[in-house]
Amino acid sequence: MDTVTALAIIALAGLMHATFQLSISMVTLLSSHSIGKKHSGAQTTRLTLGFLGGTVTMTMLVVSFLTAVLSSLFRAYIPLAVWAVVCGLLIGLGIAIWVFYYRRQAGTALWIPRSMARFLSTRAKSATSASESFSLGLTSVIAELIFMIAPALAAACSLSYLPHRWQLPALFLYTLIASLGAGIVVVLIGSGHKISDIQRWREQNKHFLQFIAGSGFLVLGAFIYANVVALAAVAGNVTLK
Amino acid sequence: MSQLAVDVVKRNGKRAPERFDHNKLRRSIHAACLSVRSPEGQAAETAQKVCDAVIIWCTDKPEITSADIRHQASRTLKRFHPDAAYIYQHHKVIM
Repeated sequence: MDTVTALAIIALAGLMHATFQLSISMVTLLSSHSIGKKHSGAQTTRLTLGFLGGTVTMTMLVVSFLTAVLSSLFRAYIPLAVWAVVCGLLIGLGIAIWVFYYRRQAGTALWIPRSMARFLSTRAKSATSASESFSLGLTSVIAELIFMIAPALAAACSLSYLPHRWQLPALFLYTLIASLGAGIVVVLIGSGHKISDIQRWREQNKHFLQFIAGSGFLVLGAFIYANVVALAAVAGNVTLK
Repeated sequence: MSQLAVDVVKRNGKRAPERFDHNKLRRSIHAACLSVRSPEGQAAETAQKVCDAVIIWCTDKPEITSADIRHQASRTLKRFHPDAAYIYQHHKVIM
């Protein structure tokens, strides 16, 4: 695999990660409660930035961990079977996103169990310090691990093919792109936009976002299949070089 | 205003009913108004108006549910402050 293909997979995987909505929902709730409790603008910004810091940190940790595990298991060459599993995961989760990412009710209620949603909502309501919101950011990434695992695994597989000097910048690239959604909401709230406008936009466009996210997973799965699995299978390799 | 003799049945009926607390309602409406960046004075005034309307609505009822209160408060709030009403109605389905 060449560096450009690996970077393309990492960037596209990051973009797919950015379509997940749990972090965006949580940062919206966190800001709403903070402004509603008459916290100063600086404190609200500290909370949202703390939250964003948590999501960025956990995203980097998860992708680094997966890369380390893959590298230690397979050294330099990842077996085709692993790539095939990644493709299957991406396609399966893409269809799952189409079917049940959002609940069929008003608002932007997500697939996560209601007890967990209530717990996260209560924690977001009671967060008063940046360290609490940082922990919430960490938790929000873990809570969506079941969907996040596919793009993170695709990125980790590609990272292990990159030359060492490219690995850290590529990890930062993935994290930067993956955090764009929550980052944009943090900037919008910090610049004085109303929570109701942001939430209304999210609700009005949720089916479009859901369709784009599911389709993106399928596209990434097909891209990896065409550029990695099929190519190596035609060449008769069981490990990709 | 003194406490009304109206019992509020909690969601799903899992917790014991409690007396209607208009201050609790006023605080939640006030917070919803502030969260959409209403000025403090306007938020307090809107919260009071909504609270008064809900009190009038529930005065002759011996028992109401917390969902009834939320529904009535949302309807009234929508007249005074549609943005705040949107957040008040939807805050449980944001996530």
